[in-house]
Amino acid sequence: MRRVEHVMGFPVSLRIDDEGEVRDEGAEGDGGGFRAAADAVFAWLHEADARFSPFLPQSEVSRYGRGEVAYGALSADLAEVLGLCEEYRAATGGAFDVRLPGREFDPCAVVKGWSVQRAAGLLAAAGARRFCLNAGGDVVAAGGPWRVGIRHPERADQVCAVLTVTDAAVATSGRYERGDHILDGRTGRPVTGLLSLTVLAPTLTEADATATAAFALGAEGPAWAAARPGCEVFAVDAGRSVIRTPGLPLA
Amino acid sequence: MKRAVPVLLLTVAGLVPVWRYQPSAGTADAARPASTPSAVPSSPSSASSPSSLRVVPGTAVDTVKGVFQVEVTFRGDRIAAVRMLQAPHHPQTRWAVPELVTETLKAQSAHIDSVSGATITSQGYKESLQAAIDAKAS
Repeated sequence: MRRVEHVMGFPVSLRIDDEGEVRDEGAEGDGGGFRAAADAVFAWLHEADARFSPFLPQSEVSRYGRGEVAYGALSADLAEVLGLCEEYRAATGGAFDVRLPGREFDPCAVVKGWSVQRAAGLLAAAGARRFCLNAGGDVVAAGGPWRVGIRHPERADQVCAVLTVTDAAVATSGRYERGDHILDGRTGRPVTGLLSLTVLAPTLTEADATATAAFALGAEGPAWAAARPGCEVFAVDAGRSVIRTPGLPLA
Repeated sequence: MKRAVPVLLLTVAGLVPVWRYQPSAGTADAARPASTPSAVPSSPSSASSPSSLRVVPGTAVDTVKGVFQVEVTFRGDRIAAVRMLQAPHHPQTRWAVPELVTETLKAQSAHIDSVSGATITSQGYKESLQAAIDAKAS
């Protein structure tokens, strides 16, 4: 079963390959019985967008950013997201920061990985064992092996590496899709030391936050991410050299 | 362990002159892969060749938590990687700062199930590799 929908401004591609675990009469073949679980995935992602988007004035994130919600009155979910933001800010010495002077409070970098990981949890809870969820370039894979390509930073139609992923997540940060949108919180300036940085981690929450935070660190990012527990790293620097961890599961 | 980290970083810093004045680095047995997530500081660059890699084992440091010994890989004057040669077995020290591999960037068109890349926009999706994968399968 496959489905593509657009949520939070990016495409979300879901593929479920389970066989013989059909919960209801699915007409689409393998995995067709997980239609309700797929519905729940997209419903949750739409809910996460409505609650945590900094672009929607009435979202909890926007109201918190304007000081209209006290920290103690936050939902447990947003408190968890803020805890993650603070963890990565501290771990990068301030290079990764969701509060920059002159900018809106923007926890998108953490919300994305965290919410998509929770969506994957909904699939697992519904009994899906072999699935691949790709949210705008961030991937949660279960029941692999899955072949996950890393997009070439300069050639949109090619990959620069292929990873074999069984039960893990892969996230990439780069400048080639949205330009210089990641700032080094220590200087307030766009990061330019790397073309892209990919992290493989047990969860997308870790992979996405680690990739974004490492990208913000620039040239120090690959070594920093490599030292994070459970993380494998593939980075392309501004000189077009690949820097990676020896344990990366290259196909 | 937390207290041992500054000691280790001092050890690392101390290796810079060691390497400069004793360029014939010895070899060391990798005792245990257990390690700590220590930062990889960089030293000021100098005129030496930026691409040559040199591996220097540090001296073993006896601490209240046990014996620690690091190995530092220099690229030119900069520290490229730090590896723990000896560390007491401890839950906080079980991950390593791996020595990073440097390779040439390659482009390939291989069969893949999914693509990881910088966040694409919904507008950009139509042209993307992931869209091609999704279209091919449906």
